[in-house]
Amino acid sequence: MVMFSELRSFQVRDEQNHAAALSDLVLDLGAGEYPVATYLLFRRPGQPAGELPWTAVRSIDLDHRRIVVTDLQGTRGDVRANLQQAVLLHRDVMDALIIDLPSRQSMRANDLWIEELEGRLLLRAADISPWAVIRRLGRGLLGHGASNRKLLDWRDVEFLRGDPLAARQGRDYHHRVARLQPPEIARLLDAVPYLHAAELLTLISDDLAADTLEVMQPARQVQVFEELDDDQQLRLLQLMAPDNAADLLNGLGPEAAVVLLNALREPMRSLVVELLSYPTDTAGGIMTNDLLVAVADLDVAGARQAIRPDLIRPDFDYYVYIVDSLETRRLQGVLTLRDLLVADDHAPVRDVMRKTIVSLQPLMPAIRAARAVAEQHLAALPVVTPDGRLLGAVTADSALVQIEPRSLSSDTPRIFT
Amino acid sequence: VTLNTTARPGVRLAIRGRILRLPGITAPRSGVLALLSILGPGLIAATAGDDAGGIATYSQVGARYGYDLLWVLVIITVTLALVQEMCARLGAATGRGLLELVRERFGIAWALFAVVVVLIANGGVIITEFLGIGAAAELFGVSRYLAVPAAALVVWYFVIGGSYSSVEKVFLLMALAFLTYPVAVVLARPDLGGVARGTFVPSLRADPNYLSLLVALIGTTVTPYMQLFQQSSVVEKGVARRHYGPERADAYFGAVFSNVIAALIVIAAGATLHVAGITDVQTAEDAARALEPIAGTAAQVVFGIGLLGASMLAAGVLPLATSYSVSEAFGFRKGVNLDFRRAPIFIGIFSVLVFIGAGVALIPDVPTIALLVGIQTLNGVLLPVILVFILLLVNDRHLVVESMRNSRVYNILGWGSVVLVGGAAGALVLDQVLGLFGLGFLS
Repeated sequence: MVMFSELRSFQVRDEQNHAAALSDLVLDLGAGEYPVATYLLFRRPGQPAGELPWTAVRSIDLDHRRIVVTDLQGTRGDVRANLQQAVLLHRDVMDALIIDLPSRQSMRANDLWIEELEGRLLLRAADISPWAVIRRLGRGLLGHGASNRKLLDWRDVEFLRGDPLAARQGRDYHHRVARLQPPEIARLLDAVPYLHAAELLTLISDDLAADTLEVMQPARQVQVFEELDDDQQLRLLQLMAPDNAADLLNGLGPEAAVVLLNALREPMRSLVVELLSYPTDTAGGIMTNDLLVAVADLDVAGARQAIRPDLIRPDFDYYVYIVDSLETRRLQGVLTLRDLLVADDHAPVRDVMRKTIVSLQPLMPAIRAARAVAEQHLAALPVVTPDGRLLGAVTADSALVQIEPRSLSSDTPRIFT
Repeated sequence: VTLNTTARPGVRLAIRGRILRLPGITAPRSGVLALLSILGPGLIAATAGDDAGGIATYSQVGARYGYDLLWVLVIITVTLALVQEMCARLGAATGRGLLELVRERFGIAWALFAVVVVLIANGGVIITEFLGIGAAAELFGVSRYLAVPAAALVVWYFVIGGSYSSVEKVFLLMALAFLTYPVAVVLARPDLGGVARGTFVPSLRADPNYLSLLVALIGTTVTPYMQLFQQSSVVEKGVARRHYGPERADAYFGAVFSNVIAALIVIAAGATLHVAGITDVQTAEDAARALEPIAGTAAQVVFGIGLLGASMLAAGVLPLATSYSVSEAFGFRKGVNLDFRRAPIFIGIFSVLVFIGAGVALIPDVPTIALLVGIQTLNGVLLPVILVFILLLVNDRHLVVESMRNSRVYNILGWGSVVLVGGAAGALVLDQVLGLFGLGFLS
């Protein structure tokens, strides 16, 4: 119906013919798919700024470019105290960073498309074309015509305030970003300013946020994580894979790490502490220790039964490691999940498992461990102590991060995380 | 909780009553290493100011007035440190670049105004950097028609081909060329009493050339692209508000280091050219040649390396800062970690600036001095505008948490700087305008 940049030049006029200039509109983001204007702000020469609730609006006259209201004089001159908290179209939405969900990119709202519906004004779309900038700068003389618009339906927009606190305080958001997959959200978080990123992470469920954190670039991950509040930090850390959690704790530094480690619940804390007991540039430092483990003495059906409760947890579930007992954990062999599914129920695990295993030492250099994984063309290699005790596994993902050139690391697909 | 952060590579942490040594957690760097690890954006941004135009101005100041104008550098160092630090703080507090914030808080028209002037002004300065590279190369007997295209390719390759951290190291390595200036000063044996007097005793003369050079000195030392670059690179470096504290040192150190080098150039020129009665230097190339009879061929080589390093540094930083600014104002993707496919406009602007800059510098008989003066004027006009934006933004309650806003003292010094720089720029512009009608009052 009308672009907000044009609407702002509309006059506000009351039935007694008093006039004022429209300065801004207060939006209700929680009103539904499209935010609705709830207040209009105006200014008159020589008088303080005023506001009117939308119920005072009689009509919107497009031809004469004016909004007719009941009474301008009768309004109080003081603008609502909580205007700081409200979302204003001109102050907050125009030119702001918005998330274009279909293209998974952050954009600037170069102009806003406003529609009238039953006497109310709705924010229907954002114009993200460069022409919108020219149209605004040209004061209506340049850049007209529908072909010069690139409208992004507001249903496909996530609006951010650039303030994680606002999200924590439960102010109105669309929460639409939760439609995306964790790697898509992670790429968005890598691209927007870090305060917007933290705000976005606060808007989504803990499960989604933890998965997203795991695939973010390490430096950005730390920067964004630090902006979350203590409770959320702990909840997300608890949900992450132990190896990712360990990397994040290292990035946060000793002071933050000790607080979080003490607060983590078991068995997560032990798993993370174990990983942190190896230097970051060793096989132990890049392995994961959240594995599927079964005892060699079982039969296939028994092993399936044994790992079933664990299957919901680890990110890495390609191999089932076979040990002599759950206490001593001496590695005997390995099975793929497929091996375990297709083997005869009553066959002893010891007979169907693969016995010749290439394994890694925990203190060998990470880069050598990574090359070994790549050379074997396997999804992972187990890490064992010199006396054969299973500690963890270096997955192909972790190996790739070690081997690839640094400039590629942001593009690396990570399958097991 | 006992926390032993001195043990490397691991740290000892108290976890549920047990003291564990965790090599998987790297202890933070301490001492000199910690200091070195934070040096980066501030040092690069400020030292890029000691570029070809800067060297020309500093040499001219030293040649004409000896050490008399050194006190201006002392005052300007405070201004530069202040302004650079505010930009770094703004970057850390908001995670956004300067022009991006200008657009959000002051609207698209102001942002566009700034972008246009930045494009023109920085584009001009980039040309002078390649002129400097050409001049330096010719000191070594290499034709500028060979050196300038080669330098453009080198700069372009390192920025586009490398990741940001390696680019930063290349720039820093180039900045080491500045360390040749102290050598030049030592070789020249300046009058230390005169240096001290010039540094600490302000002197004003009713000489139009003196005022003109004073204005040029301010204009060439604090230039808008330094602020744009400082803030953008703090954002790109990923400095968060809670870790901002130590980054201050980077901004301060960069400003002081840059201006110490500037002072050394003035002193070197004063101790040689001025003493020998050579009082008119038009270009950095002249300055290098003028040093030759006094300090021998070594001084010319040293000067050449310094000029080359400074110009190469600025030839990388400037197009980068410009490209950043334009991209952020309009919401294009930006960052040297991205390739052409993912950030076509950012990389495109950078490439065009580098190659057009080099191309113009290759035009035979290009009017160097007219170009330099015009560009400094333009920068001078933009600077106070940028400074006002910085001061308004860094005090903005909506953007910056209270602990990171300016203190009262900082605001007084900040607005004082606006008056100082604005006055200097205003005088320069007025002179240029009146000069068109033959009424210039400075020279």
